[in-house]
Amino acid sequence: MSVIVPAGAGRGPGDPPEPPRQTILFDAVAVAREGRVALDGVTLRLAEARIGIVGLNGSGKSTLLKTIIGLVAPSAGRVTVDGLDPSAQARAVRATTGLLFQNPDNQIVFPIVADDLAFGLKNHGWSKAETRERAQAALARLGIEALAARRIHELSGGEKQLVALAGLLAVAPKTLLFDEPTSQLDLRNRNRLARLMAGLPEQLIVVAHDLDLLADFERVLVLEDGRVVFDGAAAAAIACHRERAG
Amino acid sequence: MIDGIGRSGATPLHRLPTGLKLAALALVATALFFVDRPDVLVGAALVALLGLRSTGRRFREIASDLALPMTVIAALGVVDLVFVDVATAASVVPRLLALAFAAHAVTLTTTTAELTDTFERALGPFERLGLVDAGRASLTLTLALRFVPLIVEEAREIREAQAARGLGSHPIAVIVPLVVRTLVRAQVVADAIDARGFPPPRNSNNAK
Amino acid sequence: MNTRDIGYIALFAALIIALGAVPSFPIAGLPVPITLQSLGVMLAGLVLGPKRGALAPVVVIALVGIGLPVLAGGRGGIGVFVGPTAGFLFGWIPAAFVTGLLAMRLDGPGKGMVARVIGLSIAAILGGIVVLYACGIAWLAFGAKLGLGKAFFGSLAFAPGDVIKAVVAALVTLKVRDAFALERK
Repeated sequence: MSVIVPAGAGRGPGDPPEPPRQTILFDAVAVAREGRVALDGVTLRLAEARIGIVGLNGSGKSTLLKTIIGLVAPSAGRVTVDGLDPSAQARAVRATTGLLFQNPDNQIVFPIVADDLAFGLKNHGWSKAETRERAQAALARLGIEALAARRIHELSGGEKQLVALAGLLAVAPKTLLFDEPTSQLDLRNRNRLARLMAGLPEQLIVVAHDLDLLADFERVLVLEDGRVVFDGAAAAAIACHRERAG
Repeated sequence: MIDGIGRSGATPLHRLPTGLKLAALALVATALFFVDRPDVLVGAALVALLGLRSTGRRFREIASDLALPMTVIAALGVVDLVFVDVATAASVVPRLLALAFAAHAVTLTTTTAELTDTFERALGPFERLGLVDAGRASLTLTLALRFVPLIVEEAREIREAQAARGLGSHPIAVIVPLVVRTLVRAQVVADAIDARGFPPPRNSNNAK
Repeated sequence: MNTRDIGYIALFAALIIALGAVPSFPIAGLPVPITLQSLGVMLAGLVLGPKRGALAPVVVIALVGIGLPVLAGGRGGIGVFVGPTAGFLFGWIPAAFVTGLLAMRLDGPGKGMVARVIGLSIAAILGGIVVLYACGIAWLAFGAKLGLGKAFFGSLAFAPGDVIKAVVAALVTLKVRDAFALERK
């Protein structure tokens, strides 16, 4: 595995990089989507470096991630990300918080790898010169700088996943949200991504059916019908989820 | 991703500015419309063909590039010969051939990147009037290109799945799921674009 | 125009292009090859509505203009714009618009299945055939100087195939809208 270069920049040489973190608050958040309750009175304070979320399909896991970056607005209650409202201040929140979608094919917008990374950087106001540099650096962080000129269409599923992740890292977020990142990967790519995620200094909030991925997380939530039914250490949460799943 | 038809090169037509080539083509197309003399039109078609040949394209390649349009033109010529008269056929056929050759010469010698630049510059005045948003327009074109191979692939998968279930490939049974998946994907892609911070801040074009 | 609209327009344009990859059948002596792309144009109007429906073919035509082989049979480049059948290409825009406008009137909640299929078929026929042919025939007759009579009767040969496409588009739309609720606009 290649060495992971921390995202922190602009500090003195030798200073240990400050780990990027945000505090995400849910205050009695409810979401109703298409006549169905997706989240039902969720109150949480998320500040740990590694947070996992498990639950059956339709339990509200993806909706919870989407409320954090303002893709879904709460029908009641309030979400804040380091004090910012993701619906009203979407631009600011999306600059510090990236979401990796389940299927990288739906996240990659441009036909060429380097152009796709440039898309996110341009959206966040980086200049053309900085864009090239940051895109290269983000690809290098994941050990895929050789893919810069390649066409998305010709990449494997695992490579597309890394390109989508590089697109997020290029913008230097503090928090990364992963929506079932391993569900479309074979075992080798799954293991590669798991090692890579373990090395990321950013704060990670990971929704997964792949419970092994969360085994050494600091905190794991279990969701059921839009409510948090367990919140605690990984081992206990996973055991709780297994029992409830039947 | 789909490759453009045009290639970069060093022939005189390659070196002409894109805007000039497009303007010249529009001018020629308009002018030919008002000419009915067969000798002039045949001359124009020959000049256009020589121009096309000057781009380095061989006659055999030109014939295969333009097989379909030339079939259509030939068919129109036959219709005119049979139902009207020789004079009409003698002006319709060379006029259409001249246009086809000239336009193909421009297409072959202009890359998609050059045309995209010209397209964006042409949009400039409309953008200043607030009629179009060039950023959104070019994102839409890019997205369409990005998703063509995925939709083709999806159509093939659906067809195979239907065949495996013994449904054959009834067009409605294939097109319905294809359209539904396309709409669902459009929503997810739009969410992903928003999540990645689109649209860029207003002044981002000033930063170089 | 929000990002979702961009998504629908772009992906429908991609769908129209993808339908062109399905083999097209140039018939000797007839000036327009039969393709499924015009089915995609009808669907754009019926499913997305007039405005977004018309913008999907605008995207396809823009891609043709920048030299990409996105039309059936791998055709593209501005040669298409000055060819005799260009009217059948540019006509896609008003065709999808009118189809979408009529679909908003003729299809809606509270109507029976048969009434909806008939309404959607009429929308697709008036927009995707009558309006499209009017553009295509006008161009053939005056642009290619073929004469109105011959342009009209020559194009009629394609009408039966296109009526079948219109009915297919109506049936597809009915089922698509059962599975995916989308307001036409």
